[in-house]
Amino acid sequence: MSSVGGVYLESRLKFLRQVQNPDGGWGYFPGKQSWFEPTTYAMLALHGTPGSGDSLERAWKLLRSWQTPDGSSRPNGQVEGGTWVTAQAITLACVRGVYDEQVRSSVNWLLRVVGAETSLAMRTAAFFHLLKTKADFSHQGWPWRDGNAAWIEPTVQALLALKKVAKKYPSSELDRRVREGEAQILSRKCSDGGWNCGNPNVLNYDLPSYPETTALALLGLQGRSREELADPLAVAVRYRAETRSSLARAWLVIALRCHSGDPEPAGRDENGSADIMLSALEALGHPEGNFGLLRTGAAG
Amino acid sequence: MTRRQFIPLAGIAATAGYASLKLQKPPKVPDGPAGNSAVAIVRARSYSEDLVSHMLEGVRQCGLDVRGKRVLLKPNLVEFDSATVINTDASIIAAAVELFHRLGASEVKIGEGPGHRRDTLDLADDAGYRSTIPKFESLFTDLNRDDVAAVHGFAGEPEFYFAKTVLAADLIVSLAKMKTHHWAGATLSMKNFFGLVPGSIYGWPKNKLHYIGIPESVVELNRTFRNTFAIVDGVIGMEGNGPIQGTPKHSGVLVMGSDLVAVDATCCRIMGIDPEKVDYLRMAADLGHVHPGRIEQRGETVASVQSNFALIEEFQHLRLA
Repeated sequence: MSSVGGVYLESRLKFLRQVQNPDGGWGYFPGKQSWFEPTTYAMLALHGTPGSGDSLERAWKLLRSWQTPDGSSRPNGQVEGGTWVTAQAITLACVRGVYDEQVRSSVNWLLRVVGAETSLAMRTAAFFHLLKTKADFSHQGWPWRDGNAAWIEPTVQALLALKKVAKKYPSSELDRRVREGEAQILSRKCSDGGWNCGNPNVLNYDLPSYPETTALALLGLQGRSREELADPLAVAVRYRAETRSSLARAWLVIALRCHSGDPEPAGRDENGSADIMLSALEALGHPEGNFGLLRTGAAG
Repeated sequence: MTRRQFIPLAGIAATAGYASLKLQKPPKVPDGPAGNSAVAIVRARSYSEDLVSHMLEGVRQCGLDVRGKRVLLKPNLVEFDSATVINTDASIIAAAVELFHRLGASEVKIGEGPGHRRDTLDLADDAGYRSTIPKFESLFTDLNRDDVAAVHGFAGEPEFYFAKTVLAADLIVSLAKMKTHHWAGATLSMKNFFGLVPGSIYGWPKNKLHYIGIPESVVELNRTFRNTFAIVDGVIGMEGNGPIQGTPKHSGVLVMGSDLVAVDATCCRIMGIDPEKVDYLRMAADLGHVHPGRIEQRGETVASVQSNFALIEEFQHLRLA
């Protein structure tokens, strides 16, 4: 496998193979509890690589065992109740070509869950400027946990999942939620052209965007017109050059590649860090990495 | 009544209710637990002074004994912006590590789970923690992504999860920054405990805490974790539109104590904020002391170091008369 720009895909993949937990999952750091999120990114990074079949199968079985009766997935085997990682279960199922009742149940859960800020009471309060935040609460995005408000990152994860699964489980409701999710992201754009967690303004003060959430928002908005995304893409390119966050750099590279850009790879050295999620994202964003697994088309 | 008629009426009613609440004089804060609380105010004019000695002076004035204890230092690490004063200064944390080792703690660790930015390690790097704090990487845990265990009954939840590093500590030391805050009025040692809640479960931001209620969550976290001590970094705090977009405010003090309610009430008075008008302090009155008569001020007096922090319009009503 070749190296590009001093970044070494093989070293990241080797590290991921070495630090898989005995239960089949990956922790955020070596030797720690397995979590759904780093397991998802490690699985995506290793997908299709030689000799990874058994380890990916064990990981997949573990994640499937974390599904709850309502269709949602738990973020960790020790935690009761499902969260936003349910979207990642769907994305992984699509990557693995699994479309069964468990996946259908995850999709149904995701379609049921909406950000609590879209309730009539909250929208009324927002209309009369009784809230400290100034945002459009009319669009339905996704929360980190059911019963909370919608934010950029869980909304992006839901959009990736639903856009991927749309052809297998087509419905007008799925199409509507994708359109709503995209509208929610667009409505939360910061005045500087990027995105933060999802609060562009508090008490009439504009808040700045973050590089990593700008990258994630662009992933969620794949399929929108180039004209519509021209400014945020320019912001992402600038952030790619300036950010001091390795995580942000990794997400920016993936997002720019998914939008047909060709950014410098994210990693800075051969050895990488002990951060498993970061290593997986750096591997995904490598020119020869699996970033294409996060590519989606437009809304259904 | 149609929905179209209902919405404006509901809005008017809510507006009127909100306005009347803001105009009402808040009821008297309850007396608090038995006994008095010691709070030390120690002058530290800059971060280049001998901070270990300053902290040692304050800790002794408060009578803290940490011998044989596992100590977790909890700084306030928020944002990539080393040019400003958003984060607890690295020299404060380095001094605290040395202090608690010197005082005989069996273990001193550092843990933080930032509320918005997910790249905790690079955030710490950017804030100068890696370069200033010896062996930083071996001491530090990202509380957002640590192993977790459940606590039962937190805010009425059957299970609420915390990082195991937090649950294993014998003493949690809140190394907070003295700042104004656009949601809570002020962010000091008690609100700093938001960073104990794992983002891997509750998200970025930890929106579950917002739905419980910000003041309610501050109180509940401090009710859950009672073996605590506070060292508030008021050497250079933040005024105006804190906790991120405000401006530096030199106060030249460290404020310390085991009663975090009393520490925060003292910090408020130093900042020119009436602690009896700060929601979370009013609600925490059964945990510690807000009344000045019940706080034994050690070291400097409040009056000798008091300097009003600028408040945004929303919080002008908090100004100490």
